[in-house]
Amino acid sequence: MADLGNIALWIALLIGVWGCATAFVGGLKGRPDLASSAERAMYVVWGLLAVASLGLVYALLTHDFNIEYVASYTSRNLPLWYTWSAFYAGQKGSLLFWAIVVATFGAVAMLVNRGKYRELMPYVSGTVLSVVTFFVAVMVFSENPFERLPFTPPDGNGLNPQLQNPGMTIHPPLLYLGYTSITIPFAFAVAALVSGKLDTGWLHAIRKWTILSWLFLSAGIVLGMWWAYVELGWGGYWAWDPVENASFLPWLTMTAFLHSVMIQEKRGMLKKWNLGLIIGSFLLSIFGTFITRSGVISSVHSFAQSSIGYFFLVYLILSGFAAFALLALRWPQLEAEAKLESMVSREAAFLFNNLVLIVIAFSVLWGTLFPILSEWLRGTKVTVGPPFFNQVNVPLGLLLLFLTGVGPLIAWRHASTANLRRQFQWPVTALLVTMIALVALRMGDGWAIGTYALSAFVVTTVTQEFWRGVGARMRLHSESVPLAFARLVGRNRRRYGGYVVHIGIVMLFVGFAGMAFKSDTEATLNPGQSVEARSPYGHTYRLQLQSISQFERQNAFVTQATLEVYKNDRYIGMLKSEKRQHRNSLNENTFEPSTEVGIRSDIREDLYVVYAGSVQGTEQSVFRITINPLVWWVWYGGMVLVLGGLISMWPGGGGPTAASRRRAEPAGYVAQVKE
Amino acid sequence: MNVAAALLVLPASLFGQTVQDPARADSLGRLYRPDVVQIREATPVRDDDALIQALEGKLRCTCGCNLDVFTCRTTDFTCATSPAMHRLVLARIDSGMTAEQVITAFEAQYGQSVLMQPPKRGFNWAAYIMPFVGLGIGMGLLGLAMRKLVRTHRAEAASAEPVAPPPSMSSEDREKLKRELERFEA
Repeated sequence: MADLGNIALWIALLIGVWGCATAFVGGLKGRPDLASSAERAMYVVWGLLAVASLGLVYALLTHDFNIEYVASYTSRNLPLWYTWSAFYAGQKGSLLFWAIVVATFGAVAMLVNRGKYRELMPYVSGTVLSVVTFFVAVMVFSENPFERLPFTPPDGNGLNPQLQNPGMTIHPPLLYLGYTSITIPFAFAVAALVSGKLDTGWLHAIRKWTILSWLFLSAGIVLGMWWAYVELGWGGYWAWDPVENASFLPWLTMTAFLHSVMIQEKRGMLKKWNLGLIIGSFLLSIFGTFITRSGVISSVHSFAQSSIGYFFLVYLILSGFAAFALLALRWPQLEAEAKLESMVSREAAFLFNNLVLIVIAFSVLWGTLFPILSEWLRGTKVTVGPPFFNQVNVPLGLLLLFLTGVGPLIAWRHASTANLRRQFQWPVTALLVTMIALVALRMGDGWAIGTYALSAFVVTTVTQEFWRGVGARMRLHSESVPLAFARLVGRNRRRYGGYVVHIGIVMLFVGFAGMAFKSDTEATLNPGQSVEARSPYGHTYRLQLQSISQFERQNAFVTQATLEVYKNDRYIGMLKSEKRQHRNSLNENTFEPSTEVGIRSDIREDLYVVYAGSVQGTEQSVFRITINPLVWWVWYGGMVLVLGGLISMWPGGGGPTAASRRRAEPAGYVAQVKE
Repeated sequence: MNVAAALLVLPASLFGQTVQDPARADSLGRLYRPDVVQIREATPVRDDDALIQALEGKLRCTCGCNLDVFTCRTTDFTCATSPAMHRLVLARIDSGMTAEQVITAFEAQYGQSVLMQPPKRGFNWAAYIMPFVGLGIGMGLLGLAMRKLVRTHRAEAASAEPVAPPPSMSSEDREKLKRELERFEA
């Protein structure tokens, strides 16, 4: 089966090259037979990569340790679920996973748009196939997941304990889905540029894909934060690590695109900018892969490093040059169809929102690359850690939060003074009341005060929008409140889904600001001894070490510390933190002991306990107790964000606007766009 | 939820305190398998714990983990570097050095990379100001471009032939317009 997978990769490479060439030649020469051959090549490459993927999964599940990848990332006693996740835990497997996912998206895009966008589709298939072929080439020539060892070890090395976590089985695939699905909007953008069909037709084709990419990236990032929080044990969820930053960058540019594309659909403006954002998002997703795999910047998240980063660097430069050259070539044809009518309009607010998102992306990229720049220019090594990123990005983030509230309040085209007064009245009142209340309560952190006041501003904005929308429906259609609410959201899913996303963003900001009040306590305890930790809310936790126990699990020897937790001397439960020494089936230790934290979570704060180790091999144990306020808001904010995204992209209500359809009409797309 | 209490901030020094009640100290025993747990030193309780934490939060562990000294020594329990750096911090504080002097001593010993953020001097200022310079330039360019676009629009609107006043609308047309506007807004 593994050999079959290897052969499938080679054939996929050849057919990928063929499909890529026929797609572009077919499109440029107007040869439908070649374009059709390229489309079929897309399906065949998908089939071949599916065979290769099945081959690798089969090798993993049957413990074929003669294959180097299987021996490196699994062992006989690794639980089945994690054996499957080893598919993308290492370099070679993750490349295959990436390739099959891009090919799947490509094949789905071909099927969904069959018979539509005839002038675009050859270039779409060509672009997607070029990306897939690049990944297959990297595998075949450098990182083959089916590479065999000269001998067969009796057992494998096992999976890194930090990857043996439920979050890790979902978080990387979601991030990969986010990164890879950007390929489809990018392919349509390239197709529009090559074909010269630059009206809003291609935007209709990618509408759902862009929201899907953004959704996968959002879910992947939040799940990655959760994994870091529960697994890495340092007591936080975001460390501005280069790999975290790499996932955040395309998310920022995609968020900017989701806003600015509305202006192009409604007013026919920002065509160049939107194409630039899509190209930039794709390049940043490749940049993320380069950062993760090159080792050029060290990261706690890099589990798959090798020299192939430089393949990605070359690919990044070439594809960036080609895409921006195409954009430059079509520049004169991308003039706006309408002029900005007023500086006080929703268009202007969205432009500022885009600017702030791009400046945040720039600051993250700048901070990530600054150590390299400093060493290159001055020969001085510097560290750019969380204090820098927080210092730079907190003010920018608050500006963005402010604009999140402002955008929906300003009318399209031109807002009158009376309109502004009416719209801003309640949100500004909420902002001021919250700010005064927090200052009166002597909250000590100015940035946190700003965050909570602006959060109140945005929540009031969204509430006002729902309130007025429901009220209008009740008056116009004589509907009850629940019916009016359901129909309001159901018939304008994109708009009101977007507002739900804004609520999710506010919840995330509330959670982030809570970390300003984080506190850590270290303690060494004998069984029966206790330590007190004071919450920023005023109450006191007392943690009493009950016992240290040791026992065996399927693939690990566990040392478990059990603590009784008292809140203001009232018993509230137990917390357990563990040390796990992972072993293979031959009882050999495979990695250094890993830590499992104990977390007690509620809406206000998390009590986070880490069992650090034993003093001289006795029951006397060292602990770190961290109190993290408002972490719950981050996880639930993430869920609300995803819910809003799902509402926005759900089929049915909220298709392209009448203005946008009119803009697609001259190109003959109107009959093709049926939503 | 007690919002008022939720938002109060207490001094970090009040956060933790070990209760010395070794009721079961006599029953202290060795672990069955001490080899599968990291061996640690007992953590002494100090009056200046908050200062030490804050100081170590500014220093990067040189083991290559990318974490600050406090986070590394309380997270990565296989690291021998961060406990050593912790001892050095304690020794320097105990010798009478101020927090700033300790930071300077570490920078002199390990170079700028031992600090969690680039010190604000010389070329490093570029790291801090570039995002805001970018924002300023972006705002300026965007403002200028928008002003130009608005002026062009106004000039075009002024030179355009006056539009005849619309005929009075029927209630049916008014309803249709309202629906169209709703759709446009959506």
